[in-house]
Amino acid sequence: METSKIFIGYLIYLPIAILLTYFVSKTLFKNGKVFMIDIFKGKEDIAIATNRLFEVGFYLLNLGWALLILRINRNNFNNSYQNLIEILSFKIGGFAMYLGFMLFLNLYLFFRGRKKSKQSQKISNQGLSNPTSA
Amino acid sequence: MNLNIITYCMYLTITALLIIKVGQRCYQHGNTFVMHLVPGDKDFCLRINNILLIGYYLINIGYAVITLSGWSTINSIEQMIESISNRTATIICILAVLHYFNLFWITKFIKNIK
Repeated sequence: METSKIFIGYLIYLPIAILLTYFVSKTLFKNGKVFMIDIFKGKEDIAIATNRLFEVGFYLLNLGWALLILRINRNNFNNSYQNLIEILSFKIGGFAMYLGFMLFLNLYLFFRGRKKSKQSQKISNQGLSNPTSA
Repeated sequence: MNLNIITYCMYLTITALLIIKVGQRCYQHGNTFVMHLVPGDKDFCLRINNILLIGYYLINIGYAVITLSGWSTINSIEQMIESISNRTATIICILAVLHYFNLFWITKFIKNIK
């Protein structure tokens, strides 16, 4: 009976973790496309390609971590549904916080890329405008 | 039938599908990406991408097959899920690190190679 409760825990944890990752990355990269188009100054094909590459990385990182923390330790499990709920809530809450952290990291990368591309645009504009004024 | 053998079959199918799918995706979109960084030299971009793809396949399939040797005996379905998820997770994490490293490396150093 002890092992079957752990099994139920896995069956609850896995869909929640995968769906959570799916929805977060869907939201992030649907909006990330706008950032990417801004960063690459309107060149749509390279913007979409880079967006996809980041999406693949995001999925890999988060699904990998979700599977890595799946294991429920049998020694700490005292075979009650109460304990199962506590363990699951700890795992899912921790995973959600990790996802949030990753989301902000990716957003930071987007903003940084935008800032850099703005800077380089400014420099090239100055380079263009200086010879004409001089 | 031995539970270990079933686990091996499931593990190999999952990892093979994953590795091939991610490889194709990265190759397809990476082509556009590299093409943008080195404009005007299509042949060079294709060659770089092919080398990256081959290296990627070698590392991942090699690692996936090598880890088969170290599995403990599996007695129940819970252990099966645990060990499959654990091994797959390791491979996925390696993939993720390699992927980000590749993105960084390509953007940083591709100008020097040429």
